[in-house]
Amino acid sequence: MYSRVPAVLDRKFSYADLLLLLIFLAFLYYFIGLARQWNGAFHPEAAIDLSLWALPKYSFFSLIRAFVAYILSLGFTLIYGYAAAKNKTSEKFLIPLLDIGQSIPVLGFMPGLVLGLISIFPNSNMGMELACIILIFTGQVWNMTFAFYASVRAVPTPFYEMSDVVGLGWFRKFRKIELPASAINLAWNSLMSMAGGWFFLIACESFTLGEKNFRLPGLGSYMAVAIEKDDSHAMTAGVIAMSLVIIFTDFLIWRPIISWTRKFRLEEVEGEIEDTPFLTMLLRESKLIKVLKDLLRAFKRAPVRIKEFSQEALPSALFPIERQLLQSEQTKRRWKWFKPKLKAFFSAFIGTLTGILIVWIGTRLWELVRVLNWIDWRLILIGTFYTMLRVFVALVLSSLWAIPFGIWVGLHPKLTRFFQPIIQLAASFPAPMIYPLALTLFFKIHVGLSISSAFLMLLGVQWYVLFNVLAGAISISRELSESFDLIGVSRKDRWKKLYLPSVFPALVTGWITAAGGAWNASIVSEYVLYRGTTLKAAGLGSLISEATASGNYHLLGGCLIVMVISVVGINRTLWRPIQRFAESHYRFER
Amino acid sequence: MSQNLLELKNISHFFQLGEGKKFKVLQQISLELNPGEIVALLGPSGSGKSTCLRIMGGLLKPTHGSVMVEGKPLSGPNPNVSMVFQSFVLLPWLSVYENVALGIAPLDLPEEEVRIRVKKVIDLVGLEGFEEAYPRELSGGMKQRVGIARALVMERPILFMDEPFSALDVLTAESLRKEVLNIWMSKKTATSSVVIVTHNITEAVSLGGRILVMGTNPGHVRVAIKNELPYPRDEKTAGFKSLVENIHDVITEAINPDTPDWIPPAFMASTVEALPPVSISEVIGLMEFIATNGGRADLYAIAQTLGKDFGQILFFAKGAELLDFVDTPKNGIVLTDLGRRFISSDVNMRKKLVHDALLQLKLCQLIREQLQAAPNYVIPHAEVVETIHNLLPNEDSEKQLETLIQWGRYGELFGYNADVQELYLDVGQENT
Repeated sequence: MYSRVPAVLDRKFSYADLLLLLIFLAFLYYFIGLARQWNGAFHPEAAIDLSLWALPKYSFFSLIRAFVAYILSLGFTLIYGYAAAKNKTSEKFLIPLLDIGQSIPVLGFMPGLVLGLISIFPNSNMGMELACIILIFTGQVWNMTFAFYASVRAVPTPFYEMSDVVGLGWFRKFRKIELPASAINLAWNSLMSMAGGWFFLIACESFTLGEKNFRLPGLGSYMAVAIEKDDSHAMTAGVIAMSLVIIFTDFLIWRPIISWTRKFRLEEVEGEIEDTPFLTMLLRESKLIKVLKDLLRAFKRAPVRIKEFSQEALPSALFPIERQLLQSEQTKRRWKWFKPKLKAFFSAFIGTLTGILIVWIGTRLWELVRVLNWIDWRLILIGTFYTMLRVFVALVLSSLWAIPFGIWVGLHPKLTRFFQPIIQLAASFPAPMIYPLALTLFFKIHVGLSISSAFLMLLGVQWYVLFNVLAGAISISRELSESFDLIGVSRKDRWKKLYLPSVFPALVTGWITAAGGAWNASIVSEYVLYRGTTLKAAGLGSLISEATASGNYHLLGGCLIVMVISVVGINRTLWRPIQRFAESHYRFER
Repeated sequence: MSQNLLELKNISHFFQLGEGKKFKVLQQISLELNPGEIVALLGPSGSGKSTCLRIMGGLLKPTHGSVMVEGKPLSGPNPNVSMVFQSFVLLPWLSVYENVALGIAPLDLPEEEVRIRVKKVIDLVGLEGFEEAYPRELSGGMKQRVGIARALVMERPILFMDEPFSALDVLTAESLRKEVLNIWMSKKTATSSVVIVTHNITEAVSLGGRILVMGTNPGHVRVAIKNELPYPRDEKTAGFKSLVENIHDVITEAINPDTPDWIPPAFMASTVEALPPVSISEVIGLMEFIATNGGRADLYAIAQTLGKDFGQILFFAKGAELLDFVDTPKNGIVLTDLGRRFISSDVNMRKKLVHDALLQLKLCQLIREQLQAAPNYVIPHAEVVETIHNLLPNEDSEKQLETLIQWGRYGELFGYNADVQELYLDVGQENT
């Protein structure tokens, strides 16, 4: 069963190995560059080289930032999501807190993070790099955490009964049951999260904070400088580089992972098509990987060996056997007495801590916004109204094309297979990078930013609507469709009575996600860099961007409060009831 | 002194419902499990047999009474118990081998020993050659074999089986049952005693050395039957058949509210009866069948003639009986006078009769009282579900409501508006 390591070394190497080796070397080369950048002398406004040759390096830097941010997101997700799912007390405040975090646009985190981290690392770029990574993290993390939390909550009770009978500890339960059960959801949401992180890449790498410019070497800064200098060649090159990065990560990372997670589905679906992604094939071909796998296996068994040794040889040498038994029995009893007390204490501790945190943040916010006068508040409220209008327009326009197109594609398996990867890639592309192009078109037909910024929002969020409609359309009951054929229902009635109701629950989910995304996107679509100048459209997003850039943190605080209240408030009062209605009226029972 | 493996002392259990309300699931259960015996807990749904099993396994802490293991009170999961589940509860991402090995994962044994123990039980349950297969590649019967292997590999003296064969088709269930019995008789495993929960009389009789017939509202042991037929038991022998028949009589009497010889009268008054999951048309169908049969029929014969499951027919009968349209003496079923009147009536009269009959049911009375007290005579869905849950905590409240709505609509007692999800009183009918 386990082949020893030396036996595989005589395997012949293949082209796949060569390719892997090249990729590895390229990574190594750029890693050295990255290390230099991180440890280099503090340089808040990096000079950006707009030549083509600099692009691979910048792309790599951005990619690494996104991945480090992703790893942070994953770690946060596992801890936070698990805590929320397993502890009723913590769930009560962790979930609303997540809702609030999700509704704060990236700029809301910026001043604190950037200024704080730079003051911690005053002499190197480390602080700015970390700040940038955490900013990207705030664009990625939320949906992953929600997905993981929901997946753990959905593990059926008998599995817990089984693990109690067997006597699995919490870690085994987590590793063998809860983590695998949420793997599929986590993988899909990781893909979406990466896209979410890319979306604000320009804003995260290159920004102005209180009249001071900050810029990190990366693809986002490259685009920012290209837009500033109105260099259309560089802009095109940047867009292509971004596309390549997305295609690269999609093919080499997400698809293999998603296809691998298919084995973790809890319910059994028959007749599913399983395709083998490129990287899986590459890895299967490669002998290098096989050697690595064998090595890994040997390593994996090492702790078991050590454990065996420490359990058998060590203790019996140290203690007589009776004392061991007595001790373990005693510890067990003590633990049993101690455990509930520890739990209660922990809950109380976390509760108090959150309480203090909330009060502290509350007072800080109050101090911050106290100086705002009614003119400021009026400005904020009017801006909120405009932004809300744009969000609404973006949703309506998205729906107008995405609903018919999604249903049309979803009804035909062949079209689905053709369009799904394309849509996935298009959706991952950060829309702000093509804002200048889109604006050029709009200005040609004399549409001002005030209106066209709704279209800019649309560029980013239409995909959420499309994705969900597509998913809904794929699962339209075939039996119903066939019975409609038999009855001879007209085309119009078919849409009205079958297709639209069937996709409605998924559509509502799409709307909620899109609306949240659109609010968030307002900070970049109402305040756009275009041909070296900054264009603004009246709205909450542009207020936030302007406040950040000019260092008016009082106004920023006020805007953020209003934004969180608007987004969370609309979610709770408008979307939730619609969602409940959709679930109860248009959901097929399984 | 020979010691029992497990002892339940005066167990009563309540389910806590919101706002200090409690519902009794189990009442005064006492039970000793001796080494080397199979005990079958037999009863209809809602008799608390699964709850009882979970209390014995330490998965639930009983409200009153104590569970003794080897003379000591039990707290936490019972370390002497392994368990087989109705829904198999296999992890789809682990192979057969890994699923079985999960049973001894907490022991942290050396790999070689794990391999020996897993191999042994895999051979025992007939899974050789399937070690590397994943659950989704297996049929239901094979899956349950994995579930059994996972329980056996733990080498614990007591094996619990919670309706282990009811998710399988009849033939698979029967052959697997025989195999389990063989494994137990061969004494090749650590398993000394088995407790099996089932609603299948034949299963209970073919396995149980002791059969505890359980009743509902609250769950209690109605009768403990010692079954001394020698293993393996042949279903065709007269002894087997008569035992099945006897137990059947005990159970069918339970669905006959007319002779509540085992229910304490004080409890009767407050008994709320659950509705069987049948539609009015199914009940009428049964009655029509009896009518064409001369007003009297045998429940078994009906099941055979109609090609229905016997359990299903029992439900139909229970439905008719709740409405006082039939009587069920022994195995037979007879139309009452009311039932005869119903059969010879037209639709409107039938509706009227059902209307009146429903008003005699405690559940309908209570819901109607609630409706009458409600503003606009309307109660939202969730609230009705909660009421039903409070009254019948062991039943699926949604299912109960579904049946209630269906019956209530026929009897024009109350209606249900699916758009706003509200139950409303059929006021028009009330006034006439």
